[in-house]
Amino acid sequence: MNSRIILITGANGALGRAMARAFLDESPANHVWLGVNRRREHADELATADAGRCRVIGLDVTKPAAWQQAVLEILAAHQRIDVLVNNAGTHEDALLATMKPETWRDVVSVNLDGTFYGCQAVLPAMISQRNGRIVNLASLSALLAPAGQTNYAAAKAGVVALTQSLAKEVARIGITVNAVCPGYVDTEALASLSDDERKRALERIPMRRFGRPAEIATAVRFLACADAAYITGSALKIDGGIF
Amino acid sequence: MSTPVDLKAQIKQLIVENLMLQFGVEQITDDQPLFGPGSLGLDSVDALQLVVALDKNYGLKIPDPEAARTTLQSVDTIAAAVEAHLRK
Repeated sequence: MNSRIILITGANGALGRAMARAFLDESPANHVWLGVNRRREHADELATADAGRCRVIGLDVTKPAAWQQAVLEILAAHQRIDVLVNNAGTHEDALLATMKPETWRDVVSVNLDGTFYGCQAVLPAMISQRNGRIVNLASLSALLAPAGQTNYAAAKAGVVALTQSLAKEVARIGITVNAVCPGYVDTEALASLSDDERKRALERIPMRRFGRPAEIATAVRFLACADAAYITGSALKIDGGIF
Repeated sequence: MSTPVDLKAQIKQLIVENLMLQFGVEQITDDQPLFGPGSLGLDSVDALQLVVALDKNYGLKIPDPEAARTTLQSVDTIAAAVEAHLRK
């Protein structure tokens, strides 16, 4: 059975944990590295439950040196890295007219710069292997650009464009690069909405329910699998039918 | 330690294997340009793969596009860079 080495950033959150679970369930030979930054309690629980196949690693995605260190550690342990899921993200909504520059910068830094640094960090290993899968977490906001999310929507639209451009650069080396664009997913971010906001959000979704983290994770795992070798540069909407 | 002739042969092999070229090492001469008009016909993606392969095989780090342009002109220039690196 093939062993695959997977790195997931933002792995303390519900989405990251669901992805980790999906890759762990895919094969008992898989090894999953959970990239975490400020909080790690949920990732630690997951790693404890799957000791030996799942490890937590500190990784501030906005710092290139942190990426280099993390990739070195993974390569020292396994001599390869097969899958990178750039899942770490943040949002801080505000109208542009009143948005503080640091609010803009922070959101772009984690969502877009972090994706850039991550891709750059794993590419030498993947080029050397002539094989690799990169899945970048974008958002439906990248496509719909809702009011109040100029920073987040611009960053995620940047992630889609980065994905498509990089996909062309490395296509013939056996590396695929894809993005997923989740809509409303039942995670920590959604929990911060008021009842009224949740009701209004549900009314916009043709399926009349929020997505489940496992449903996003399934798509990510598929894009990262060997059978998805001919899919690259795609931006897959997973949103219950919003368009 | 490789002689210069051995090293150039190794580098040609590395180029053919890593770039999955459809011709053999005998088609590559030492001073033939690798990129541009009248060259072997390599492109920027090939250059990227060469940079990674040289690091992996010889520990030679090519830190930026300018250094890549200088080092990756031909088998001769690559061999010179590798030799200089190995002598350090």
